Amino acid sequence: MPQVLTANRLSDGEVVYLASDGAWVERIAAAKVFTSPAEGESGLHIGAAAERELKIVHAYLFDITPAGKPVKMREVIRAAGPTVRRDLGKQAAL
Amino acid sequence: MYRYDEFDQKAVDERVVQFSGQVARRLSGELTEDEFKPLRLMNGLYLQLHAYMLRVAIPYGTLSSKQLRMLAHIARKYDKDYAHFTTRQNLQYNWPRLADVPAILADLATVEMHAIQTSGNCIRNVTSDHFAGASADEVDDPRIWSEIIRQWSTFHPEFSYLPRKFKIAVTAAPKDRAAIKVHDIGIIIRRDAADVLAFDVYVGGGQGRTPLIGHMIGESIAAEDLLAYLEATMRVYNQYGRRDNIYKARIKILVHQIGADEMRRQVAVEFVEVKAQGALALPQVEIDRIAAYFASPAFETLSDENPTTANPAFNVWLENNVAKHKVPGYAIVTVSLKPIGGIPGDASAAQMDVVAGLAEKCSFDEVRVSHEQNLVLAHVRQRDLLTVWQQLAAAGLGTANYGLITDIIACPGLDYCDLANARSINIAQAISTRFANQDRQREIGELKLKISGCINACGHHHVGHIGILGVDKKGVEFYQITLGGSGDETASVGEILGPAFGEADVPDAIETLIDVYFAKRSPGERFLDTYRRVGIQPFREKLYAAH
Repeated sequence: MPQVLTANRLSDGEVVYLASDGAWVERIAAAKVFTSPAEGESGLHIGAAAERELKIVHAYLFDITPAGKPVKMREVIRAAGPTVRRDLGKQAAL
Repeated sequence: MYRYDEFDQKAVDERVVQFSGQVARRLSGELTEDEFKPLRLMNGLYLQLHAYMLRVAIPYGTLSSKQLRMLAHIARKYDKDYAHFTTRQNLQYNWPRLADVPAILADLATVEMHAIQTSGNCIRNVTSDHFAGASADEVDDPRIWSEIIRQWSTFHPEFSYLPRKFKIAVTAAPKDRAAIKVHDIGIIIRRDAADVLAFDVYVGGGQGRTPLIGHMIGESIAAEDLLAYLEATMRVYNQYGRRDNIYKARIKILVHQIGADEMRRQVAVEFVEVKAQGALALPQVEIDRIAAYFASPAFETLSDENPTTANPAFNVWLENNVAKHKVPGYAIVTVSLKPIGGIPGDASAAQMDVVAGLAEKCSFDEVRVSHEQNLVLAHVRQRDLLTVWQQLAAAGLGTANYGLITDIIACPGLDYCDLANARSINIAQAISTRFANQDRQREIGELKLKISGCINACGHHHVGHIGILGVDKKGVEFYQITLGGSGDETASVGEILGPAFGEADVPDAIETLIDVYFAKRSPGERFLDTYRRVGIQPFREKLYAAH
């Protein structure tokens, strides 16, 4: 199953994703998709380095569907914001 | 209410400076996350799903208007214009930036507040009866004793690294509004035959994945010995509580495994030793000094009156949300933070300011936070009730549902919490909306409905007359229903009805349970009374036949 690397930004806790250019971005749509366990492993190394560089906290991989949507509700909510406050989180700017 | 002395203020100010330095070192890279995490948790700072979360201590749920205004100010300046009142009578900000936390703590310190010991394996915020000092049924103000315990437990060097977190609750009324029997230590204060205060100490209650009712191990402990007895209990726990398994580390597991009698014996042995040292004997002069902070306000000499008006909405609120006060002419007002379809326990900065203003003008400058996630104006003149209601209603705080089916406790659940398995607020909203009709709510009568988004049970589902627990089944949210729990003086743990329900089916399931209650109840029975009389079977049969 394809995966995305996520974390929280150190300075404000914002949910971020690793993009293809190595930047940490706020939108899951811009996230790099890892298609194999080996790729995922390399992503975790990038995450660990970013933690040492004080960019992010607690990097981990999660599964997405072929359409690019998170499989688990937890990641759906992290990607959008609280389902009970559509005016908050990333969804507020959409 | 209690005011900081120079030692309190100095300790809090020093902690702000210390944690500010720790945050700076984390942001500069001198501290790793592994090093920083225990330090931030000691200061109430979590990292949740969307952002950091700061939990602010509200000792025994008592606030001044000035403090509540500061909480509103912080919500406005550093967060997203609202905050969440919790089942521990605390307050949580869901979106603070790490770099802003030192400034937030500095602001809190200016009004004698902090976030110390709101997390971590220490003695947490002491909770108490939200009607303390106002209710006619109490034998003493439990906040006096809560404050004494707060002072003893704050920065206690021996109990800063316990096997697990530790929660203490205190009540001084036969009607237990503080859920003391589901706490690590619960204290009931009563008067003995000689009219002297006596303290019954319950140990080993708790919720979470192993819900248990506490056992009374200390009976009629004298006031001067209270801290010595608590110290003895903590020492037994600190020595024998399991540190090898997080799920078996609470004191309730220790009591369950060795038995209440053996726990009582061990505490008694330790108690003798602690008393012999003498350092924790409470002098009457010290008790009096603390008690003076909680002296009754300057009540006017009034007579009870009938505050009802021609306005039916006000009259319904009077019946539901206004309780009898110990002083004639006064009343206790519960400010519902459960608007129909709303988020239990959330309040906007503007709403906090409205309540602070009302407390200042109409309730001797005091606000209470209840563990049921409402606010309380404890000392309102009956003649002011209409004005108070009008201002609350104008601010969206006039919902007349205290103790009814829409007065739901719900944890933040998967919408915010890193530990949650399922959402809980959405279920609360759906049930609240389904049962919005005021007449129907009142026909159902008292019903405590409590929802947790995971087995940690922050939403107190185990002690709900109807409890709902969110679970994750292969990535899909399901909800397990329990019946017959209670957090009051007749405390009991709810029994699981059967297989869990999908999100969309929960309101219908609750509806079915209410139908069974209506069919089975005898005159005057609450839902819990009927359940206890007829048992779970009629509810189970109807529910699973219907679904």
